[in-house]
Amino acid sequence: MTRDKTHEEQIERWAEFVRDNPTEWKAKLVPFIDGQILLSRRFYEKLTQTPEGMQTIKELRRIPSV
Amino acid sequence: MERQVGDRTILDKFTEEFCEVIEKYCKYIICSGFVAIAHGRSRGTEDIDMIIEKIPFEKFKNLHEELLKKGFQCIQPGNTEKLYAYLKDGVSIRYVWKSKSFAPPEMEVKFAKDELDEEQIKERQKLPLTGMDIYFSSIESNIAFKEEFLRAEKDLEDARHLRIIYKGKFSEDKVNKIKEKIKIRNGKQQKFEKNF
Repeated sequence: MTRDKTHEEQIERWAEFVRDNPTEWKAKLVPFIDGQILLSRRFYEKLTQTPEGMQTIKELRRIPSV
Repeated sequence: MERQVGDRTILDKFTEEFCEVIEKYCKYIICSGFVAIAHGRSRGTEDIDMIIEKIPFEKFKNLHEELLKKGFQCIQPGNTEKLYAYLKDGVSIRYVWKSKSFAPPEMEVKFAKDELDEEQIKERQKLPLTGMDIYFSSIESNIAFKEEFLRAEKDLEDARHLRIIYKGKFSEDKVNKIKEKIKIRNGKQQKFEKNF
């Protein structure tokens, strides 16, 4: 599926906001970026508590076996 | 740019802590997706890409040990010799903050593999707009790699984002020169793969 024009316009709008508001953009982005990492951590943490969890994590993260 | 409390993401903290150790041992660059994210691209990433100078084993051993002391772990199993062998073979080694779950974020570290990588390290720069005290590959090289080599939708969007942020402040000529070098590198690689 290709994204429509409104998506491109939003990229442009946001990039211009970052460029024109160098002291403001970061605070707006922190919860978004951190939210993804925190969700991911919570998920991995829960996986470790399941019987096959560690094996699944190894597959997901492409961790080779010893 | 002065940083304010609350302005640092988990990715920022992870990257700055990691780079602080690396800088003691060798030159490095942060490249690819995180460059765009550090410039406000609102998208997620699990890994941050780092290219480091080729260093001898002893130096790597010390670097690796300090990373472990500072709370990082390498997610690939094996001793230091094995990890160094990965790097020498052009394979990246990946570090996360110590945890049982190997949860992201992750730093993907590679040795510079050719002249193009070495050139990027030579021209590394701090980018004040990011508010981060770390070295990045140049804006021109990020745009060039994203448009000429990576080319996934997210990469093209990253490049567009950087082009808007740095409008009138980067050299299009330099972007094109790097693209030419990428084409040559790709050509060599394809030839190599064909022969084996």
